[in-house]
Amino acid sequence: MNYLYFLYIEFLAKHNIPKIFGDITFYVIPACIIFVALILVILVLVLFERKLLGWFTQRKGPNRVGFWGVLQTLADAFKLLCKENITPIGADRAVFNLAPIIMFLPVLIALGLIPFSSEFTFMNFQTNVLIYVILATFPVLSILLAGWASNNKYSLIGGVRNVAQILAYELPISFTVLSVIVLASSMNLTQITLAQSNQYGVLGWYWFPCIIGFGLMLICTLAELNRCPFDLPEAESELIAGYNTEYSGMRFALFYLSEYGMLFANSLFISVLFLGGYLSPFGKYLSPILFSGPVGNILIYFEQAFWLFAKSFLIIFIFIWVRATLPRLASFDLLKFSWNILLPLSIVNLLLMSLLKFFVGGVYA
Amino acid sequence: MLKEFYYMLLSFLTVFKHLFKRPVTLEYPEKKSEVGERFRGKPYMKGCIKCGTCIKVCPANAIKIEDNDFIFDMKKCIFCGNCSFYCPVKAIKMTQNYELATNDVNDLKLLYKIEGRENERLD
Ligand code: SF4
Ligand code: SF4
Repeated sequence: MNYLYFLYIEFLAKHNIPKIFGDITFYVIPACIIFVALILVILVLVLFERKLLGWFTQRKGPNRVGFWGVLQTLADAFKLLCKENITPIGADRAVFNLAPIIMFLPVLIALGLIPFSSEFTFMNFQTNVLIYVILATFPVLSILLAGWASNNKYSLIGGVRNVAQILAYELPISFTVLSVIVLASSMNLTQITLAQSNQYGVLGWYWFPCIIGFGLMLICTLAELNRCPFDLPEAESELIAGYNTEYSGMRFALFYLSEYGMLFANSLFISVLFLGGYLSPFGKYLSPILFSGPVGNILIYFEQAFWLFAKSFLIIFIFIWVRATLPRLASFDLLKFSWNILLPLSIVNLLLMSLLKFFVGGVYA
Repeated sequence: MLKEFYYMLLSFLTVFKHLFKRPVTLEYPEKKSEVGERFRGKPYMKGCIKCGTCIKVCPANAIKIEDNDFIFDMKKCIFCGNCSFYCPVKAIKMTQNYELATNDVNDLKLLYKIEGRENERLD
């Protein structure tokens, strides 16, 4: 960020614009970039998921709106915008309207914590990881609020189920993240990314030494995102649509958006922790080789972002694959699975990683 | 436990294989599904001799003959094919056409004209 900042200030100084203007606007630009990128990615993501689900079940997926169905998500968004906003009688109006908005905010903040390239991290704190882990659980608050305020039994059960689920699955996540922190000896996501760049290339990334943790993280993130097979809060066979039963139109769209935004943010987080973040899988970046001179040096940042996005889409592909394969768990099995299997496993994983760090420290330091 | 895990892996592999298979979707208005040779669709009539057998065998009372008008009531017809089976001159045929949905209730009355046989009968 510092490098970009100097570039920006220099650019303004050339055109005789005072520095104070640059200081103020500099932080607006990345925020706008992140917001626009988020909306675009969600549009792509929804189509990606529907297409993949179609192919997994030998269907074609959406293919009517626009060429190859590319405009399907836009058409859906337009439909949702046109729909009526209904507030049920007896609902707590203020909370009911507030819940979808509260759900969307942590997604935006969480994306600001991710290092998209070595120079582009909107909020680069020393304890990025901790802040992210806390933010990732925030949606449960608004889901509970939505379930409570809807004045509907299905919504309430959905919200309460979600709280139990997050409580059970947040602990394994914390232990797994802790094991990565132990390996990298840092709580900063950029530092964690850099700690994974060593002479072993792809095998030097933390998914290899921490393969148990990687699996745990995938499973627990599925539960945290309320995705199949852990989508109990919105189990349509039992609870209609769970916590968003009473929501319609734009408010439902906000829930939908933030669900997919959180999916994207979490997959970015996993790829930073375990798949080397913005590092290139070939050991060195391709753009200086392909383009000589200053162009190649600037393109490095875009290439880094590209690798990060590619890795996160790989993880999203795994999530969709799981969704296409496994049926939904029963409510009790879900909690039992976490407390009996995942939590002990994650503690064992943390111990193993500590031992690895202690004895073989030099390799993964 | 181990067996369950094995089955889970197996199901993941199976689903992954389906990713590369050709989709079975039929894009309906552009491509229509093939029906069998003996498929019973929209009935068609030509060359009736007004014997009245079809009216008797029709379980749904869907056939009416008024003078020279032969009428199938598609609201009642259940496509059983009795009328075409019992017709002595094989005047009724069940076609392969299954697209009978319409917005106009009057389209559901299928009207065929009976021609040509009156003179022969008078002899
Ligand atoms: S197909 Fe069956 S129901 Fe339809 S007109 Fe013929 S006999 Fe009647
Ligand atoms: S259609 Fe066939 S069975 Fe029916 S009245 Fe005419 S000749 Fe007789």
